[in-house]
Amino acid sequence: MAKLPQAAALAASWRGRRAFWLVPLLLLPVPAWLNEYQQYVINMMLMYVPVAVGFNLVVGNLGLLAFSNVAFFGIGAYTTGVLMLQVGLPWWLTIIPAGLMGAIAGCATSVPALRGVRSFYLAIMTLAFGELMRWIYIRWEPVTGGSMGMAVPAPDLFGWPLITEARKFYVFLALALLVVIATDRLLRTRFGRAFLAIKSNEVAAAAMGIPTDRYIVLCFGWSGFAVGIGGAMYAALVGHLTPVSFDLTELIVEFAMIMVGGLGSLVGSVIGAVVITAAPQVFLDFPGFQELVFGVLIILVLLFLPNGLASLLARLHPGLRDRYHRE
Amino acid sequence: MAALLEVSDVTVRFGGLIAVNEVSLRVGAGEICALIGPNGAGKTTLFNAIAGYVPLNAGRILLRGTPIQDLAPHRIAAGGVRRTFQNGGLFGHLTALENVLVGLHTQVDSAFFGIVLGSRRSGVAEATASGHARKLLDLMDLGDIADQPAHALSGGQQRMVEIVRALATDPPLLLLDEPAVGLAPPMREQLGGVIRNLARERGIGILLIEHAIELVMSISDRVIVLNYGRKVADGSPDEVRADRSVLEAYLGHA
Repeated sequence: MAKLPQAAALAASWRGRRAFWLVPLLLLPVPAWLNEYQQYVINMMLMYVPVAVGFNLVVGNLGLLAFSNVAFFGIGAYTTGVLMLQVGLPWWLTIIPAGLMGAIAGCATSVPALRGVRSFYLAIMTLAFGELMRWIYIRWEPVTGGSMGMAVPAPDLFGWPLITEARKFYVFLALALLVVIATDRLLRTRFGRAFLAIKSNEVAAAAMGIPTDRYIVLCFGWSGFAVGIGGAMYAALVGHLTPVSFDLTELIVEFAMIMVGGLGSLVGSVIGAVVITAAPQVFLDFPGFQELVFGVLIILVLLFLPNGLASLLARLHPGLRDRYHRE
Repeated sequence: MAALLEVSDVTVRFGGLIAVNEVSLRVGAGEICALIGPNGAGKTTLFNAIAGYVPLNAGRILLRGTPIQDLAPHRIAAGGVRRTFQNGGLFGHLTALENVLVGLHTQVDSAFFGIVLGSRRSGVAEATASGHARKLLDLMDLGDIADQPAHALSGGQQRMVEIVRALATDPPLLLLDEPAVGLAPPMREQLGGVIRNLARERGIGILLIEHAIELVMSISDRVIVLNYGRKVADGSPDEVRADRSVLEAYLGHA
């Protein structure tokens, strides 16, 4: 590792951090140039930011192979849908409940991990949880609309109807930003270090006085919260919830996001959400070609950048390195 | 007055194997107590029992007179028993500084909601901890490598960082599991000096597992010999050196 003198490294990392915060500012005027469909795709990228951030936190930072992400995503989306349709709440009032339901599901999912279930065993158990949730969406018809799905009423923010994609864009940008800022803060403190310590050596982490069980629950809980908020955004974006949207294909897409972006990197989660959402759009007019591009992109990135696109950023400029990305 | 650490009649069984058999020992503040014996004698198992990783089948372990044998490992660590690991327990992808910060975990006064909401207090707590960790590394002449990932450090540096990390919270008792393994002789001597200073100047009680017998004999106040899980000798280095059962433990019956 090339080592900059300390002051320079600090300054570079500070400049880097400021550079990251410029991104949302630069995005502000974007809707002026886009048509509704293009704006919809951008909104989808923003929607996937909290989803990828939450997923990456457990897999990349805590180091547990948990595939329950799509379950949290669906739970968040259906919480919003049900609260709007059955209870009559406005969309903006359902965001926090969607996050909280995701958090509860997250804490529940951590139970096998607390019992010592790890690696492939944890992967298949959490995968089963996702499929179980899908079964519930299908079977609990009076509430979820079953396999036909549920139409979500039009979203609004404090009574301001989000009728255009541009309006959704600003709300989504704020939500994605809030999740990223909060997670960034968490990763920079003893919580983030505890996650990485558990990933690296659980026995040694406990020897440092870290209550490892509590941190595993917390990590899953925060992950579920972030992803649940993504679910609320999905409900507002797509307007129609069907069980098939939360199947294994969805899991593969989300997994691709964190792998391509960079496992364990917050910046990587954002990049992954953007790139993987954008990839199928590139050859929109050539059906069949899209999947090919998608597959080749993943293979190329993982072949040449096993630490994801976040590591490419670090190579471009040391200040752009994600300080909490451990390769 | 209660000893710093008092292990009385501790037995640990793994199925039919008695790994530690009715072992008692005491470590006082500022005392260096070495635990030696052939491989498989139960030294590391006893360490793990003291640190809370292995349940006892019989016996008691007291820290300053308080029983700790039923506590979880993180509680024992928070209560002042810190350790290093035989095969290097550093978090390889964290920097030396971050490793020490993890060692300080229980003393960083930042709470979940405070952090997420960006409270000033948690920011100050983190910055203070960071400065403190850097100072601790500087004191051991490790300031230059503070920002290197632990896996990139030399064996000797790793061992030192691990000791700094274990001592970051100023614990009264330190368990060192084979700290000299893999170190070149000059490095061993330096390590011996560091361990001696910790006991003499900071009054830390040290329980040490070590195979490097010259090192053990030169720095220890007491040497305890384990064989097949039993304590076969306990005394000053000179007494243990003269003890026939120690030779038998290492060389078999003459």
